[in-house]
Amino acid sequence: MSSKVVLKAKGKSTKGSKPSDDNSTSKLLKEWSTWTIKKAKVITHYGFIPLIIIIGMNSDPKPSISQLLSPV
Amino acid sequence: MATLVPPPTTPPPAPAAEAVKPEKVDYMDLPCPIPYEEIHREAMMSLKPDHFEGMRVDFTKGLNQKFSLSHSIVMGPMEVPSQSAETIKIPTANYEFGANFIDPKLMLFGRVYTDGRLSARVKCDLSENLIMKANAQLTNEPHMSHGMFNFDYKGTDYRTQFQLGNGNLLGASYIQSVTPHLSLGGEVFWTGQHRKSGIGYAARYNTDKMVASGQIANTGMVALSYVQKVSEKVSLASDLMYNYMSRDVTASFGYDYILRQCRLRGKIDSNGCTSAFLEERLNMGLNFLLSAEIDHKKKDYKFGFGLTVGE
Repeated sequence: MSSKVVLKAKGKSTKGSKPSDDNSTSKLLKEWSTWTIKKAKVITHYGFIPLIIIIGMNSDPKPSISQLLSPV
Repeated sequence: MATLVPPPTTPPPAPAAEAVKPEKVDYMDLPCPIPYEEIHREAMMSLKPDHFEGMRVDFTKGLNQKFSLSHSIVMGPMEVPSQSAETIKIPTANYEFGANFIDPKLMLFGRVYTDGRLSARVKCDLSENLIMKANAQLTNEPHMSHGMFNFDYKGTDYRTQFQLGNGNLLGASYIQSVTPHLSLGGEVFWTGQHRKSGIGYAARYNTDKMVASGQIANTGMVALSYVQKVSEKVSLASDLMYNYMSRDVTASFGYDYILRQCRLRGKIDSNGCTSAFLEERLNMGLNFLLSAEIDHKKKDYKFGFGLTVGE
């Protein structure tokens, strides 16, 4: 008895039925909003204190840089 | 020609009469209530000063009327959360740099710590009645940062607030003055991450001499507080926190002495914890702090001293 060896071609597994347009746009939107929030967090983390310093140094009466850096 | 005789004018009502007889309540003209999150404000201020352990020195340098920088050093044992019943403390030292910008329309407040954490607060008056507040604690560790936005609208005798936070947190609250002394309010919130939602109600009754407030939420929390102003300098406060889901109850009584040169607050708790906090004004711009918290049940004794330099 010859056993039949069946070679199954290992194809790339597709994600079932073809993705509908709604899925891809909502996925894109989620990815895009996660990316913006990540970037906004990094920007806020590094830039918030310099922002306060810039706004403060430009308010009047304008303090000078030496006042900013000196410990007294 | 006969001049027209002007009609006799009615005399203006005597203002003294109003103060003598009880004022007739004008329900269309009630005062604006306290914001919902500050409903226990007097009790919180008297019973919960920020106790610390170790040494702390705060130096605030004002560059301008609106802009100031602050440097702060805290050295002391910090509690580390542990699984066992004992509290584990690790001595740490931290330096914190901060910048504040205070304007009638915009307030920015930022603090950065030596471990890279940033704590930021923004308050912006978008219009006369609409205020936007934002609050964020950002860390370098992933998933440990939180931020929250609040939009407050203030009406003539009501306030509403809408909250939006990370972790899909949404909340809204509303408080209304019902009589000149009583205000009632409610709130709802929904957290996406933990899939929880809750609703709560609060009431506050205040006169010149006392403030009583109560809050109940469907998470099981009931909080009641009562503050009596015994004199100009002394007030006594008491607070009860009860959780009907976990059957946990805490009651505390405290006093608050606001004297010319110092402010002394002390309290005793039903968990066997007594604490006191003294802020003494040694000189203009120099404050001395002493904090003590003794927890007899857990045998945890915390003593701290500090100095605040600058306004």
